[in-house]
Amino acid sequence: MTVLELDRVTVKVPGRVLLDDVSLRLGASDLIAVLGPNGAGKTTLVRSALGLVEPALGRVTLDGVPVASLPGRERAAKLAWLPQRGPLVEPTTALELVAAARFRFRESRASSRAAAMRALAAARADALEARLLTELSGGELQRVAFASLLAQEAPLALLDEPASHLDPARQIELYALVGRLWRSGLGVLWVMHDINALAHAVEEGEAARARVVGLKNGQIDFVAAYGAPDLGARLGALFGVSMTAVSVGGRRVFVTDPSGSAPRP
Amino acid sequence: MISRRESVKITALVALSALALSAAPFVGPSFPGEASDFIFWQLRVPRVLMAALVGGTLSLVGAVYQTLFLNPLASPSTVGTTAGATLGALIAIVYGLGRLSWGISIVVLFAFIGALVASLVVTMVAVRGRVRVNDIVLVGISCSLAAAALSSGILASADTNAAAAAVRWSIGHLPQVGYRGVLFMLPISALTAVALLGLSRSLDTLAAGEEVAHSRGVHVALVRAAAIGCGSLGVAGCVAWCGPIAFVELIVPHIVRLIVGARRGVVLPMSMVVGAAFLALCDAGARTVLAGRELPVGVITAALGAPALLWLVARQPR
Repeated sequence: MTVLELDRVTVKVPGRVLLDDVSLRLGASDLIAVLGPNGAGKTTLVRSALGLVEPALGRVTLDGVPVASLPGRERAAKLAWLPQRGPLVEPTTALELVAAARFRFRESRASSRAAAMRALAAARADALEARLLTELSGGELQRVAFASLLAQEAPLALLDEPASHLDPARQIELYALVGRLWRSGLGVLWVMHDINALAHAVEEGEAARARVVGLKNGQIDFVAAYGAPDLGARLGALFGVSMTAVSVGGRRVFVTDPSGSAPRP
Repeated sequence: MISRRESVKITALVALSALALSAAPFVGPSFPGEASDFIFWQLRVPRVLMAALVGGTLSLVGAVYQTLFLNPLASPSTVGTTAGATLGALIAIVYGLGRLSWGISIVVLFAFIGALVASLVVTMVAVRGRVRVNDIVLVGISCSLAAAALSSGILASADTNAAAAAVRWSIGHLPQVGYRGVLFMLPISALTAVALLGLSRSLDTLAAGEEVAHSRGVHVALVRAAAIGCGSLGVAGCVAWCGPIAFVELIVPHIVRLIVGARRGVVLPMSMVVGAAFLALCDAGARTVLAGRELPVGVITAALGAPALLWLVARQPR
């Protein structure tokens, strides 16, 4: 079983600490939602897990091996990433983009394409296969990017606010895909703006298994189960707003209280 | 999984290029009797071969750089190769350095070294992991500017004849090099082609963005350094013999992409084929446009290539 482990990781840039003594463990079948105000260090967390930034202190390991010393293909075999921004678009087909995500496999172009077709189908994007990336909408592009994530066939996935620029329908579609991915056994670390994304990915009985990590000023503020009764209060404190849980259709969703005080600094 | 339509286009393009290459030696003013045989076999044929090697190499490197720098305007001049070569050649021309005993002129040698030194600086920056692609472009531009400043200084201190020769060199021309130049270029072109075509899977993945490529297992710094290093070697060889032939490396890949699509598995080899034919054709034009005189081929490539690209871009469906 593949495990990503951040062990007391501190990341600094001159004059600022981006991540301060953060420890986190992501294994298969884990779902960890990471939330926090802007500048809390969410993206740095993802980037250090990928080996894109080197921690000043602490260790980032995949199955016990520091990510920085893992050969690229081996790292890619364990850990995949869906970035916040969609792929750079050039006039190639969606199929080509997804096939290129299989770089870690030493295989023929033909088998890359066959696997890319399967990934596109799993991401409900098989209709886009022959379309040029330059002609796709934002939602379509994100589905193709999601297919790329699947095509890499890594047991752990990092999602960095993958739905932030999609309309509600496309967002819900993507959340459901993430939920299916998790249920199929992947370990998912999901950086999100809106906790309610989880309501579309996690089914009712599963709320105890999903964890929520609150990040603030580069530090872990709290770790709670998604089903925890005081999650609303903790999230409110994290963001400095008044937040309550309400029941919609039997599911808990979290809303900011408009009558509550103005955001506290 | 190349579609039928695509394969028709590719076949047509290859056929046209082959036709252009085989017709090119027959173009030019005719000479009577025995002279014509000599001119054909000893001058025209090697020159077309040279044009094919140079055009193919430049276009391939251009196509690779456009992906590598995630920028459609990237070209060998972006990483300082051309300016370095120009500086080297100017030093040799202006200071009147002669010939080496084995027939390769000091100008060629100096241009080659200049190109490699300038590209080496950029390659060394690129190989250091955490630099962004724009930093590499900036370093390349800085190298180009520094080399250009030195070149201007040398040119300003030169006498009129040397300065005129230097300016002529810097326009870009295919010299009468015979088979010696072809033999010099062939291994360089072959090495560049093998290395760069071998990188095409990495480049495909790199096209999605450098950090994404990293997450998919590409050693971004290594791929960059290998591509810039091998690309510069090829360009250094071209520039050393022919001077900086403008626009080929910029225009040919775009033309190819507009015709056959952006897939690198196709664009890279097709850029080589079309580039070879394009430069041979331009050179044939350079021999014939002015009666009794030859234009530098760099003038023709820009005059033909720029409008061709404009036309292709303008007729793109929007």
